[in-house]
Amino acid sequence: MTEHLHIEGLGVEFNGFKAVNDLNLSVAQGELRCLIGPNGAGKTTTLDLICGKTRPMHGSIRYRGREIARLPEFQIARAGIGRKFQVPSVFRQLTVRENLEVAHCKHISVYTNILRSGRSAESDGLEKLAAFVDLSDYFEAPASVLSHGQTQWLEIALLLAQDSELILLDEPAAGMTHQETQKTADICNRLKGKHTIIVVEHDMGFVRQIAQVVSVMHQGTLLMEGTVEEISRDQRVREVYLGSTLGI
Amino acid sequence: MFDSSAHANPTRNRNRLQLALYLAFCVAIFAVPLFIDDDFLLNRYARYLVLGMVAMALSLSWGYAGILNLGQALSFGLGSYAMAMTLKLKTVPIHTGPDGLPDFMVWNNVETLPWFWVPYQSTAFAIFAGVAVPWALAAILGWFMFRGRITGVFVAIITLAILVVANLLVIDQQRYTGGFNGITDLAQLEILGLEFDAYSKSTYFLVASCLSVCLLGALAITRSKAGLIFQAIRDQEERVRFFGYDVAAYKIMAMSISAAIAGLAGMLYTVVMEFASPTFMDVPLSLSIVIWCAVGGRQSLLGATIGAIVVAGMQGALSESETFLDTWMLVMGLIFVLVVLFLPNGLAGLLDMAGRRLMRRPGALAGGPAPAKGLSGQKAKDQT
Repeated sequence: MTEHLHIEGLGVEFNGFKAVNDLNLSVAQGELRCLIGPNGAGKTTTLDLICGKTRPMHGSIRYRGREIARLPEFQIARAGIGRKFQVPSVFRQLTVRENLEVAHCKHISVYTNILRSGRSAESDGLEKLAAFVDLSDYFEAPASVLSHGQTQWLEIALLLAQDSELILLDEPAAGMTHQETQKTADICNRLKGKHTIIVVEHDMGFVRQIAQVVSVMHQGTLLMEGTVEEISRDQRVREVYLGSTLGI
Repeated sequence: MFDSSAHANPTRNRNRLQLALYLAFCVAIFAVPLFIDDDFLLNRYARYLVLGMVAMALSLSWGYAGILNLGQALSFGLGSYAMAMTLKLKTVPIHTGPDGLPDFMVWNNVETLPWFWVPYQSTAFAIFAGVAVPWALAAILGWFMFRGRITGVFVAIITLAILVVANLLVIDQQRYTGGFNGITDLAQLEILGLEFDAYSKSTYFLVASCLSVCLLGALAITRSKAGLIFQAIRDQEERVRFFGYDVAAYKIMAMSISAAIAGLAGMLYTVVMEFASPTFMDVPLSLSIVIWCAVGGRQSLLGATIGAIVVAGMQGALSESETFLDTWMLVMGLIFVLVVLFLPNGLAGLLDMAGRRLMRRPGALAGGPAPAKGLSGQKAKDQT
């Protein structure tokens, strides 16, 4: 497997607090990597750094061999990195189809887009995407009528519409019912191999269902990497999680 | 809520219905002179249409792209002054002789025509400038604001502050702008041999044509991919950025198009009113535009247009009627409060809800007579 994302010596501080500190991480093409760790370990910050929401102070992020650490976020997005945020953020007043239309866009210039129809000819592909996350029945419905779980799935569909090769999912199963979590895991499993995916998640049950390799973060740095079994056996990981109820 | 049988085409049907409504409105405004032969009334209606146009422009930036531009009257005023300047220069040979100056400059002891007045001797340049100057100003302002990621209420405050500054500047520079009096006593606009007398059908048709073209053009923009992205930016600006769009470029575009339309409306206003005044670029007018937009429905171009026409029309009617001579401001305020409380999407929202109600129950149409409009409106209100 070829290396897709390579992070080296990455660090950022907020008012002296080292949120991410000398982080090294390498993710292969088509891999589904889970990023876990106790609260404040710097998982979400790591995603912020990759997608350009936060500027790193040290280190490098290489995506397909290209340094992206200091590019503006829209250029990082165009390079093929898609991000789902912790708080669901879809366009609630637009329909599911329109949401996908916004995400699916080869042309990003305002000058060409003002001359192009809002309804692209590739509606078929978009309908398939909606079907992929089981939202066919809501294709023409405004996103505001979707449930919490459906909103999360729409977000995943948006990343696929965007044609992201590297997908960053921040807590995709947060606040979901058991069935919804199951369905989300199913969606993630179907994406394995086609896209490189990094999932930040607290729910160990969910991680068990999807994970190949798990990276554990602690105090802004990488603690260890391994399969779910290796990690649950590891003494250091147990210490870090001591007192928390993650059920490792 | 959304049955699967209806999900295939409702958007397309809605779009067709929307286009039909817009076209019907355009036909209706062109038909008005057929029924009204009173030039005074036509002039007044032309004025309302111009106000509708500037409200429509705000709907494009506020309702669609989420940019609350409280300085909309600045674009309007710049257009208005551009037209007034060229029309004023046309009167120079008659008022002060072939080598003279506009009369107010003579009274203010100005001796040569200021450099920025010179190009306005050409009407074509003035018409170009009336659109291009507001457009460029909005683009520059937008560049600073949106590149700096200024959003929400701060955009409103900055645009309002700039409007105030511009207004004071125009009043202060009496020698070049006519100050408080504005620029009065203008010639008639003449384009390609056509004369536009403010009190004639020709001016009314000029205004109606410009409004129709802008309305349909703006509708096309809202239906373009960029229009979709404007709305996405309004809903979740940050998210759009992470789809790889340069959000600032889109916002600058929305704001500058809106300003250009407002500039055109301002030019027409000078033609209709036969003068330009600092009140065409003051804060009360700018706030009125926001109110028209809110009453009509800021997320509907046609709604905002009609909102302006209805509210400005009511203002005119109430302030002139004997009964409401002292209280018309209160009545207007009350209407505004009621709309904001019960119709967050304005008159257009009311129509939308009624329409959805009818569409959702096709049986209701076939079964019995359609519910009276007032009744469905009442129900719609209850829903909110």
